[in-house]
Amino acid sequence: MRKRLAQMHVSRYLRHEVVTLIVLTGLTVVLFLAVTVVSRIFYAQQNALAIRWSIRGNTDLNAGHYKDADAEFRAALRYSRGNFYYQLGLAQALLGQHLTSEAYSYLINLWSQKPENGLVNLELARIASGAGDTEQALRYYHNAIYANWSGDQQSQERNARLELIGYLLRIKSRAQAQSELISLEASSGDDPAVQARIGALFLEAEDYQHALEAYRSSLKVRPHDAQALAGAGAAAFELGDYLVAQRYLERAAAAAPNDAESRGRLRLTELVLQLDPFRPRIPVAQRNRNVIELFGAAGQRIQSCPAAASYVSPGNPQQDLAGAWEKLKPQITESGLRRDPDLVNTAMDLVFSVERQASEWCGTPTETDSALLLIAKLHEGN
Amino acid sequence: MGPLSNAQAETIVEDAPGSPAAPEHERTPAALLRSLFREDRFFLILSVFIGIFSGLAVVCFRFAIDWWRIYLLGSGAELSTWRLLLAPTIAGLVIAVITIHVFPLARGSGVNQTKAALYIYNGYIPFRTAIGKFLTASLAIGSGHSLGPEDPSLQIGASLASLIGRRMKLSRDRMRLIAPVGAAAGLAAAFNAPISAVLFVIEEVIGRWTAGILGSVVLSAVSSVVVMRSFLGSESLFRIPPVELRRPSELIAYAILGIVGGCASVAFASGIGALRPRFRDLPQWTQYLQPAAAGLLIGIIAVLGAPQVMGAGYEYMDEAMHGQFTWQFLAILAGLKIVATLLSFVSGTPGGMFAPTLFIGAMLGAAVGGAEHALLPHLHWSPGTYALVGMGVLFAGFLRAPMTSVFMVLEVSGNYSIIVPVIVANTFAYVISRALQPTPIFDVLTRQDGLELPSMEELREENILRVEDAMHVSSDPVLEGEERIDRAHEILKNGGYPVLLVRLKPGDWSGITREELDRLIREGKGSQSLVSVLAGHPIPCLHPDQPLDVALRYVDRWPLVPVVNRANFRKLEGAISQRDVLERYRDFGGE
Repeated sequence: MRKRLAQMHVSRYLRHEVVTLIVLTGLTVVLFLAVTVVSRIFYAQQNALAIRWSIRGNTDLNAGHYKDADAEFRAALRYSRGNFYYQLGLAQALLGQHLTSEAYSYLINLWSQKPENGLVNLELARIASGAGDTEQALRYYHNAIYANWSGDQQSQERNARLELIGYLLRIKSRAQAQSELISLEASSGDDPAVQARIGALFLEAEDYQHALEAYRSSLKVRPHDAQALAGAGAAAFELGDYLVAQRYLERAAAAAPNDAESRGRLRLTELVLQLDPFRPRIPVAQRNRNVIELFGAAGQRIQSCPAAASYVSPGNPQQDLAGAWEKLKPQITESGLRRDPDLVNTAMDLVFSVERQASEWCGTPTETDSALLLIAKLHEGN
Repeated sequence: MGPLSNAQAETIVEDAPGSPAAPEHERTPAALLRSLFREDRFFLILSVFIGIFSGLAVVCFRFAIDWWRIYLLGSGAELSTWRLLLAPTIAGLVIAVITIHVFPLARGSGVNQTKAALYIYNGYIPFRTAIGKFLTASLAIGSGHSLGPEDPSLQIGASLASLIGRRMKLSRDRMRLIAPVGAAAGLAAAFNAPISAVLFVIEEVIGRWTAGILGSVVLSAVSSVVVMRSFLGSESLFRIPPVELRRPSELIAYAILGIVGGCASVAFASGIGALRPRFRDLPQWTQYLQPAAAGLLIGIIAVLGAPQVMGAGYEYMDEAMHGQFTWQFLAILAGLKIVATLLSFVSGTPGGMFAPTLFIGAMLGAAVGGAEHALLPHLHWSPGTYALVGMGVLFAGFLRAPMTSVFMVLEVSGNYSIIVPVIVANTFAYVISRALQPTPIFDVLTRQDGLELPSMEELREENILRVEDAMHVSSDPVLEGEERIDRAHEILKNGGYPVLLVRLKPGDWSGITREELDRLIREGKGSQSLVSVLAGHPIPCLHPDQPLDVALRYVDRWPLVPVVNRANFRKLEGAISQRDVLERYRDFGGE
């Protein structure tokens, strides 16, 4: 009897709660499948819309239509909310509109998601550099250099480093720029355009030897590249190697006749080469003529710059420069110089002193004066 | 006197009425199954299913809102003027016709309808309400009415749960609780925040904490969130920017935000409280036009340059958090959102006020932060932090759910360092709101609807009577357990006491009446000790701090109940009788 009652209880519970649970489980499965189908349709549509708007956003971003790109990326993000690349596009569009703080908030959020992303780091570095936050800018630039890039990794890294160097040069951090340039040169290969760019940056960083080498490397592949020729000429000019500079600058002027800077530098180079009385293998007569000419130019400089004329050098406290020039003038003749070759040095020392003082007080009015200063610089310490 | 053991007394206290316990001696398979499927356990299993179904319903609801938005307003970020004007207007007309003729219960607050189901309708919410809410609220929000999806989700969950409960033929007690369980599931899925949903339902709908309810509510909320996340992803509603509090002095800035937010909450709630009955009192035919007119006005606001006020506006809250608006524009948006939400809600358009509240809070928070920063440039300003705190402020001030407001911000931000500013600002907002608007908005709405539901705020703050308020500190002697019965009889007789308490060892108490002593003397037990006859019959003890309701359970069974010290059960603080309790209640009613 008890067993029978127990069986009745069991069947009652099976009929009610257990069956209920089975039905609910079955219903759950059916509803899950139904909602899965609905969600697939929903997300297919959302993805299509997201892609459509992001394509338009990218097109407008590349065309510089930042306001349109902004709206389009926002639309894309509505359908693919957390999409990293749409947010990045939106941040770039915002940057294009100079909405830096808004862009920053997107970028910093993206950075927290993917701190290894190159473009995010680069954009953050640009914002930091614009805000004058050098520490953050350097941090993000270095992150960008060693980050993951989509596409050509090497070229993106190189561009990031080039941008960093540009930034370092802007903030006058030449030593850091030079070390970055050396790293860049080591990893840049033989691409002549890149070498020329590196040369220009070395030039800007005042590392003329490396600049000349980079330009030479570029010219090996593209020997008639006017920009590289001009750069090589400028580098050689700054190094004081006027013969080499003349060679490059002549070719640069020929390749780009409108390059006024190179032509001016060439004229100055030629003047230095022409007037330098100490250049190797110069005939004695020519040297003496140059000394007389330069001594005369120094006299004119004294007349045009009274401040320099009255300067008393520590080595000759009894006389000012004008007095010294007047005193020496009678001896600076061809015969005088032939008689006493030491007068060449004495005369040229005075000429250099006059030019230095005059350039300090009165600027450099003529090409001859500029050439004289360069000659003075070239033979400093001799 | 029929004393019970402490264990038995505890059982009386703990057992909920109507929960059948399997008798100890039954060990049959039927008993085991019955034990397994005891209604309270079955209710827990059912809560999981309620959560799953609610989660699925909320997922579909979210899809529906997005679809309406794409087809009515367009898929782009910049919306055409005609769509902005026509979509909410035409949708308003359609919604009015549907709600008046097909789904009249789709109007109104889901929170209050769930409370009504709990307190009035024994858990009954027509399933038709869920369908109506789904269709009309999704259309309203998708077309740009300034309303949110959380309250409809809550009601859809409650309605689904009610349907399941009815089909399962649950007992009345369980049926009453099933709607809040579904409500928690719906709200959790809508917010993607299970803790906040559980707290809100406990704080605003059920109003009390018990393990049985909490377990079901938590299970349903968690299962609905799991389902929702499997379809919609686990991302929070917002991209949370870095949140930080640099200096403690910044708390003053957050306190100011709390004050401003409290005032804004009062303005918002007062607007709804004042306008809603006026709109409802307008001629019947205007009911067809009110949602359309509200939609048109919202469309005009959008065309004039603030399309952000349309719909729930989560994406714009996100943008506000990331500093994409000036503080002046944020303040304008907060003001316009109040206007737009007032229009939508008082016109009877179905939809919730959670999202608009968060929107207003976020905009106001970021605006106040921005203004403070403009005035005091050295003040650290993070729009995200202020927007998040602002959300909590409006939640505390407008919805008057202080606990939920704090946890909601913590759950949404996932950052516990924000807790101090949130608590400071929310406290100010809550206090100001309570002072200026004594009746919470949910209670205002229920009273306007002609219902008298218990106010959770009033319940929370109700002064309750405690045992210490009713007990008397008696000078009557206390008998020791070792006392002989004839001696005890003499004491009672000489003192004229009808009953005295007896201190047993090691801390148990009992009591004995003069009649019982007379009987024992007659039975010839006068030389025995009191403990020999009372040892198995201790009286449950009370403590001074316990609610007086607890005493009511004992005083009708024992003429005198001891009130003892919690640290020392042998130390008698007083005693309480049925008369003491009733007199105290009578006096309390007069107070």
